[in-house]
Parts: sequence; structure tokens; C-alpha cells
Amino acid sequence: MLVLKYVKRADSCFISHIDLLRHVSRILRRADIPVKFSQGFNPHALVFFSSPLAVGVASIAEYLAVDTDMNGGELFERYNLAVPVTLAAIETFECGKNPNLQGKITAADYVFDTPFRQIDLSGFQIEYEKKGKTVIEDVSDKIYGSTNADGRFALRLASGNTSLRPDRILSELGKRLRTNLALSDICKTAQYVGTDGGFEDVDEYLKRV
Amino acid sequence: MNGYNDKLYKILADVEKPARYCGGEWNTPDMTKPRKADMCFCFPELYEIGMSNLGVQILYDVINSDKDFVAERCFAPAADFAQKLKEDNLPLLSLETKKPLKDFTVLGFSIGFELLYTNVLYMLDLAGIPFYAAERGDEYPILLAGGPCAVNPEPFADFFDIIVCGEGEEADLNILRIIADGRADGASKSEILKRVKGVEGAYVPSLHKDGEKVVKAVIRDFENAPYPEKPLVPNIEAVHDRATLELYRGCASGCRFCQAGFWYRPIRERSADRCAELGKNMIENAGFGEMSLCSLSTGDYSELERLEDILIPYCERKRVNLALPSLRISSFKSDMARHSRKSSLTFAPEAGTQRLRNVINKNVTDAELDNLAEAFEIGYDSIKLYFMLGLPTETDEDIAGIAEICKRLKGLYYLKRHKRGLNISVSCAVFIPKPCTPFQWEEQASFEEMLRKQNYLRSLLREIKGVSFSWHGAETSVLEAALARGDRIQSKVIERAYRLGAKFDAWTEQFKWDAWTQAFADCGLTMQEYTRERSVDEILPWDFIDTGVSKTYLLKERELGYKEKTTKNCREGCNGCGALKLGRCTVC
Ligand code: SF4
Repeated sequence: MLVLKYVKRADSCFISHIDLLRHVSRILRRADIPVKFSQGFNPHALVFFSSPLAVGVASIAEYLAVDTDMNGGELFERYNLAVPVTLAAIETFECGKNPNLQGKITAADYVFDTPFRQIDLSGFQIEYEKKGKTVIEDVSDKIYGSTNADGRFALRLASGNTSLRPDRILSELGKRLRTNLALSDICKTAQYVGTDGGFEDVDEYLKRV
Repeated sequence: MNGYNDKLYKILADVEKPARYCGGEWNTPDMTKPRKADMCFCFPELYEIGMSNLGVQILYDVINSDKDFVAERCFAPAADFAQKLKEDNLPLLSLETKKPLKDFTVLGFSIGFELLYTNVLYMLDLAGIPFYAAERGDEYPILLAGGPCAVNPEPFADFFDIIVCGEGEEADLNILRIIADGRADGASKSEILKRVKGVEGAYVPSLHKDGEKVVKAVIRDFENAPYPEKPLVPNIEAVHDRATLELYRGCASGCRFCQAGFWYRPIRERSADRCAELGKNMIENAGFGEMSLCSLSTGDYSELERLEDILIPYCERKRVNLALPSLRISSFKSDMARHSRKSSLTFAPEAGTQRLRNVINKNVTDAELDNLAEAFEIGYDSIKLYFMLGLPTETDEDIAGIAEICKRLKGLYYLKRHKRGLNISVSCAVFIPKPCTPFQWEEQASFEEMLRKQNYLRSLLREIKGVSFSWHGAETSVLEAALARGDRIQSKVIERAYRLGAKFDAWTEQFKWDAWTQAFADCGLTMQEYTRERSVDEILPWDFIDTGVSKTYLLKERELGYKEKTTKNCREGCNGCGALKLGRCTVC
């Protein structure tokens, strides 16, 4: 099993997860990557994604696992010849088994390119619409920390089973600034799997499995 | 990239399907190359519909493949996006470089359907461009229109500087060259238009004089005509999300109601080898999981077997589904059906009785319907049947014939499969007398009569189990008919209808019948004036276009129709329609 780490940025941010699934099957076909198929009545390509990214949000840490006999270097090269730069692969990992990223990922880092440098996270509330009703939710337990590396404000948010959508944080920040912030001002920079009481960068995890 | 990108990204977060508006599709050509002129293809429908249009893909590829020109695209935005543009004071932008439409040298509208006319104005409005050619000075782009509606361009002639009648592959480039040269030597718009007037297929409404003819543009070497071997891969699911392979242009069947069948003459086929090469290249370059063979009557393609021999194994290896739509019953080959997905068969007998099928020259016989038994045998359980209501000379007996066909098919299915359960879906369009067909003089059935016919058929089909029935709205069909045979005055009607809120008229839920009836009335007109029968010596608005097919031939075909006599398929020999003067038919 090979895992590609790829970016999703600029125009490609606006491609929804469902559309991305369709694109990947085309990318693999035009890249002529021999993907293995499941057995059974309705065979499907053995390709697995990390958790869906909200439409409009950029990322430099998306993952795509592909079951193929091809070697990592060749996959990387062929894949990159078959995608726009806005979906380019930046690294490959070879794994002994399916790393089950969707099931394992528990957190992700997002950089918010906004005038904020620091915010008070205790009792942080967001407001959103759900089935026509306005919901106010305290999400401070889903924010695992904040950093301010190279002057850019970043948050580590719950991802996976319980997740916190970065676009909801952004609209809250926008409200505080009384302006409309563009989703493309958010970028996912890393994803993590849960360890005993901590987080392990997916890159490290993939080197291990 | 210009300064609009950031502003656009801010809007995109708040609209439905933002990938409609951001471009960046795989196979987008180089947008940075030096150019003498640029053109933006404007398609007056949503992205997912426009991206399925083969004509646009072909012409986009032709222009971008030329060293001197660049083509971009723009589709009609949905209401939410249009609203945001207005709120943020942004003009309508091209997808590729986010450039305002106003700043292009040429805007090329592709108009494939009468119910898109108001959307042309909708796009111009959002782009900040005056509607009428006469109101646009040299500071605006030159506006070009083309596509199937150029069969009768009069209703929209006042909006455009140039209309391409016929096939655009060569004409568009020739026109673009003249415009680029003209702009380079400082010629005014009117001077440029004078130079364009001589190009084959170019109709310049402002300079056209009574009695002048415009000869339809035709690609003579269809075998080697350019084809988008690197098709754009749509960002979101398009209506036809696949590699589309055009096998031939024109149609040998000669159905008397069919505009495309007459308009695209002469009939020109591409060889199976060339088709297969194009098809494979499209799959290699785009990666589509589906390929469809597209022509007016695909099953009649003379090298179909050879093509299948190459493509079926190729597609199996690549895990590509080879779809073979719109088969004619007479060309049904169970072999072909065996290799395609067994979801549903599609057939178009068009009329319920042999008599009426003779009138319209739809050469499908009752005996051929029985061939469908083979399909049931190999596993098909559902079938879609297409018919038309309101055809010339139609009686209630002909309508009842549609129900009879359904019963007959159910019987055949039972014989072969020893069980019930065949699903039949009957879809009925409304006959619309279209220009350049033998029925161009016919009256369209009145609105009330159409409803009566639809209700009658519905009552008959309700009694047969497993049959579902859908039909085209009588209102949209009346409007389509009125516009199809419209004249110059109609530009005022279209503008009025747009001002009254009509747009996206092809979408049932957005269709505003009241706006249209009021628009006609405000201009002192009625739709009935346009749907009435035309006398044969009347000068018709589209008579100035020389389509190759002579008026005498159309009249002769009409008379044969009334006599319930058929005309043979052109593959059995030329019927002398006249199209040969524009190029060779490769099938007879
Ligand atoms: S009648 Fe003759 S010229 Fe006309 S389309 Fe048929 S074969 Fe061609």
C-alpha cells in the first residue's frame, strides 16, 4: 500500500470531497497507475482518503492511500504528471498495510491567515445553522491548542469522529472583526493520529506502519 | 492573474457548487502565451450543462491550438452567484484568468436552444455590456453567436455583430484573424465587420441587404477535422461527464421533423480507425471512466462493427464504460447491447402507428419493434420510449398506437422471460415545426389541443401496468415554436421578457409563462402569429441562409409526407437534396 501526501490549494480548494473522489479515479486512469480492485460483484478501486476537507479550505497535508504494486517513486512521478499543480503530491510513504487514516486521525492543524495573533480559547463559542435552527456551541474542548509560529495564527482542532470545522471558527473570527473572511485564508498544515494522551504527526505514523 | 482572484475567492465560500466558477480544470491550455486576440466562449447555461457541450469543447480546442489566439470560457452563473457579483460590484469574469468579459477582443456565444435567448442578455447584463449591437461602440468586444440556433438567427440578430451560420471550426478562426488584423491596424468596428462579411458562414446583421444569401459553413475534410483530444475535465459532475466521440455529422435517415438531420448535411463520416484513435487519446489524456459514441443515429454508422472491435477490448482493459446511446430500433444489434451496461434500452419510434411514422419518415416498422425481443432475452428489464405528440396529420388513433406499442412490448417480454415486470417509460415531446425541415411551414397544435392529446394518452397509459409517462410542458413548447420561427422584431420581445424576469427558461421551475405572454403583448404581438401555418410562398425569416438543401426538396418531402410515402435512407443512394454542392456525402 502506497500513501501519497498531496496539497489542495487555490482553485482546487473549491472541489468538493465527492467530486474529488471522481477526479482521483480519472487521475489514476490517465496516470496509468495499476490500482488493485476489490473482489466481488461490484469491484471498486482500492483507494482510501483521509477525512474530507471543507470546501474552500486549502491544505498542504492531505493523504491518499493506493493499493498498487507500483513503487513509490514511480507512483509519485506519474501522479504528478496527471494532476494540476494545485493538487500536487509532495511525498510518498510505503506501508505494509492499509493505514486506515480516516479511522485513526484525531486532530489537524490549521493556519488562519487573519489579523488575529492570539485569541482567548476558554469557553470559545461558535454559532451556526443546523436544520434551519441556530445552534450555539462551546467548542473549547475541541480546540487542542494554539500556536503563533512565524507570526501566523494556528489552531489544532479535533478531526475525525468528533471534529470541529475550521470554517466555523473562521466565521466566528470574521464576526469579531466585522468582516467576511475568505475560506481560502485557512490552510490545513498537518494531521495527527491519536497516541496515549498525545498526537503523532501522520507522516511519522506512516513511516512506522 | 489579475486582481479579481481574491475578490472571487471571498464570494465562492458562500455559493452553491463554487467549483463552477473557479476554472483550473485539467487540460486547460496555456493561458499565458502571446496572442493577437482573445475570445471568451460564453455559454448561456450553467457550468455543468455547458461543459457537456461538444461544440464548445471543439471550438475551444480549435482556437487554443492556434498559435495566435487564446480562448477562455464563461457560463451563465446560478442566481446565488449572480447576486454576490452584484453585491460586491464585480463584473462577470472568465473562468481561466478571471478577466472581465468586457475586456476581451471577442465574445462568442454558443446558442443551442431557443429557451436560452434570455440567458444571453442575463450574461451581458452581468458583464456590463449593452444588449444591442447598435449601442456598442469600438470600446466593447465584438459579439459573435453560433450554434444550432443559427439556423434562424433573426430573433437574436440585433444583439450580435456577427453570427456564424453552420460549423464554426474554420469560420471562427477566419473571423478571428480578420478581427485581430483589423484591431492591429486600427480599423473601426464597422470597418472590421465589412471585412468579415465575405467569410463563408458569416452573417453580419447590420450590413445584410435584402436578397443577399449567407452560405452555411461546412467542414469538408471531416476525417481530419480538429477534435478535442485533450478535453477539459469538469470540476464538478457535468450532465455528460465522459469522453464523447463524434462519429459523423449529418444523418442519412431524413426524418422530416428533425432540424439537425437537415442542417448538418452533407453527411460526413470519420473512419473507425481515426475515431478509435481520438477516443483512446481522450481517455489517456482525461481519464474519463465512460465513453459515448455520439452522432444523430449512432447505430447507422457504417464502420460501427470495426469501431466496436477496437474500442470494446480497449475499454474493458481500461475499465471504461462504453455507452451506446440513442440506438435506432432498425439498427439494433444485440451484439452491441450485449457489451454495454444493461441498465435501460432507449428507443425512439416517435409515432404510434406505421401510418404516422411514414408521414414523418421515421423508418421504424412494427416488425422491427419485435427485434427488441432479443434484448429482453439477454437481460434488459426496462426500456425508454420517445415519442412526439402533435405531429402533422396526427389523429387520436395514432396516439392510441403509442399505448398499443407498450402492450406489444409487454407481450414480447412475457414470451421471452415468462414473467411480467418490464418497466416502460414513455416520454413525449411536443412537435415543434422547425426551420430548414420539410415541416417548416406546419402549424403547431394549439395549447389547448396539446393538453387534450397529453391527457388522452395519459388516460390510455394509466391502464397498462409498469408504464410511466412523462411529457414536455405545452407552454414551453409553444414558446420554443414561436421563437424558432421568429423574426427580427423578436429581439424586443426577448429583451422585454428578460426585463420582466425571464431567464433560465429551460428550467421548468424557473419558467415564467406570464412574463413571456406579456412580453409578446407589450410588443404588439402574440405567439400564435408565429405558431400558425405558413403559406409556401411566404418569405420566411431564415430563407436567406443557403443550407445546401433546396426549398424545392423540402417541399417535395412535405408532399410525400402528406401522401404517407417514405424516402429511402441516404445510405441506399442519394435522394438529391442539394447538400452535395457544399461538400461530398461520404455515405452514398
Ligand atoms: S440526399 Fe444526397 S446530398 Fe442530400 S444528404 Fe442525402 S446523400 Fe447527401
